[in-house]
Amino acid sequence: MDARILLVEDDPSIREVTGIGLRNAGFEVTTAADGLEAVERFRAEPFDLLLLDVMLPRLDGLEVCRTVRRTSTVPIVMLTARGDTLDVVVGLEAGADDYVKKPFEVPELVARVRAALRRAGRLPDDGDRLHLGPLSIDIGGRTVEREGEEIPLTRTEFDLLAELTRHAGQVLTRDVLLDRIWGYDYLGDSRLVDVAIQRLRAKVEPDAANPTLVLTVRGAGYKAAR
Amino acid sequence: MFGLGGVRGRLTATVVALVVVTALVLGVGAYAFVDYSLHDRLVRDAEAQARFDLTVLIPNRLPNPTQQTLDDSGLERAFRERGVLLIADFGDLVEPFRSIRSPELQAAVAAGRLGFQWTNLPEPVLIIGGRLPGTEAALYFLHDAKPLEDALTQLRLGLGGGALLLALIALLIARRVARGVLAPVDVAARTAERIERGDLSARVPVASRDEFGNWAERFNRMAAALEETIRRLEASQAQNRRFVADVSHELRTPLTALVAEASILREHLGALPPDARRTGELLVADVARLRTLVEELMELSRFDSAAEQAAREPIDLVRLVRTVAAARLPDAKLVVSEEPVVVSTDPRRIERILGNLLDNAREHAPNAPVEIRLRFLPDEVVLSVADAGPGVPSDRLQRIFDRFYKADPSRQAGSSGLGLAIAAENAALVGGRLEAANQPEGGLRFDLRLPVTEPLPGGDPAATVGPDRGPRSTA
Repeated sequence: MDARILLVEDDPSIREVTGIGLRNAGFEVTTAADGLEAVERFRAEPFDLLLLDVMLPRLDGLEVCRTVRRTSTVPIVMLTARGDTLDVVVGLEAGADDYVKKPFEVPELVARVRAALRRAGRLPDDGDRLHLGPLSIDIGGRTVEREGEEIPLTRTEFDLLAELTRHAGQVLTRDVLLDRIWGYDYLGDSRLVDVAIQRLRAKVEPDAANPTLVLTVRGAGYKAAR
Repeated sequence: MFGLGGVRGRLTATVVALVVVTALVLGVGAYAFVDYSLHDRLVRDAEAQARFDLTVLIPNRLPNPTQQTLDDSGLERAFRERGVLLIADFGDLVEPFRSIRSPELQAAVAAGRLGFQWTNLPEPVLIIGGRLPGTEAALYFLHDAKPLEDALTQLRLGLGGGALLLALIALLIARRVARGVLAPVDVAARTAERIERGDLSARVPVASRDEFGNWAERFNRMAAALEETIRRLEASQAQNRRFVADVSHELRTPLTALVAEASILREHLGALPPDARRTGELLVADVARLRTLVEELMELSRFDSAAEQAAREPIDLVRLVRTVAAARLPDAKLVVSEEPVVVSTDPRRIERILGNLLDNAREHAPNAPVEIRLRFLPDEVVLSVADAGPGVPSDRLQRIFDRFYKADPSRQAGSSGLGLAIAAENAALVGGRLEAANQPEGGLRFDLRLPVTEPLPGGDPAATVGPDRGPRSTA
């Protein structure tokens, strides 16, 4: 595997050791020390994944994330100093797919990077079309339409919608969703699921405050309406 | 507020008593003086009149006084018109007057002098008696003393009523004065109450230049000193907390590097020569210890700055407890219901508390069985973690939730000493309470008490119904 990763981190020690760890794991790593440099490098050459510190000089990580998202669906994993809900929400709002809390162990980071790459590189299951209420989901083309109009979804949101729709009427717990969508094989942060569901609802529900397509099952998880 | 026992009551009673005593002394004195004067005056007037009657008037009208001539003379009628009853004694005095006369009066008359006597028949009467000069006959003049006694009665009533009125006025004035005098005490009491409730800026108004004003100034100086001291303590505490927050935050960047480096080093320990390998192992373990400490310090400093907020969502406690126990201490014995127990709370906080309690049990009672129990009480859910270890001496039980407090200083390899403090902070954050107690049968037991308030509205019945009480919500 020689996926190319752009690692953006301002602290030299963390940058270096993370680079070593990722290279040991078989990735090709390019580093940037601040936000502007990151944007320039990303424009100069293609990458398979962006590993992005939140607190960066010159241009902060969230801004870099938004800038990149305007032109690319490349998987973005944020490195956050704090695991506060606010940070998670803001990161996902900016278009990140996942986040890793500092401090982290390199094997953990590698696992998360691999999971993100796996999802991004996942081959279309088939050419099927799924339906959920007024939504028409094109699995192969990774697009969602409502009454002929395309709804732009991020990769994570699309995967979440497709997974729930495939099992319409069946409750999927947060842990199951973490495992299937984010590739977590251990107890992850269920807020990741909650935030992504909220973002998905905001885009696909006629009224996000009273969801009729993506339903909450109290104390258990989520399910798509049948 | 304090009745007669209070200073105000005593002050009022004292003033009223003083006024009443003064009024009584003055009234009784004045009355006695008037009483004496009026009686004396009546006696003198009556005696002067009697002297004139006995020596001039009657001898002129009755040159030969006998009962018969007296009766014929019409003198008795003339006297009666003056308001005087005339009784003559020609040695034939009849009852009851005979026995009414006092011995003193009789003696005076017998000696040829004028005498007087006060008596009641039953109306008050002044009797003046004297002998007709040159005869054995005696005459008694009975003067009606009723007007005098009536006047004195009037005076008594007047004085008594006046004293009563005075006492009443004294009472009103005394109460007003007492209230006025003691008002500063009330103000001070209210001020002290405000300070007690935490309003350190409360002060007593200095309204006068008297003892109270002086006292108020001293009180205020004391309050100011107190406020200053507390503010300084608070400031230094806030500074300490900021320092801890800053330090742990600053530590995070090198710590992140250390943790990443140690995780790589760990992979390559096998390739190192033995000495270096052992050192490397210690390094990796110590980095883990440092990481725990810094992360726990940061967590506590977030509690201190009130940056932590509890989420609230319907949670099946049974499932949560099973999941956490399976991940943290699979050997623990679980005493929980088979049915879901759904409460509204923050699952991450509960997980944190339970995890820390399990870590604590594993550390302080290694290899001893640990029991996790979930109970429903009328208005709370109790999650207990009990170990079969040595327990904690009861005098140290209170401090067990203090930061860095180590009940058993000899056995402290891994833990930071912050785990229980963090658990307690988390418990408070979700509106619950964490308690520790030694069990009678040995071992230490922690109870996490989560109050259950209102039933959860709506939801999917299949997923939310508790074992026997239906869905619950914790406050």
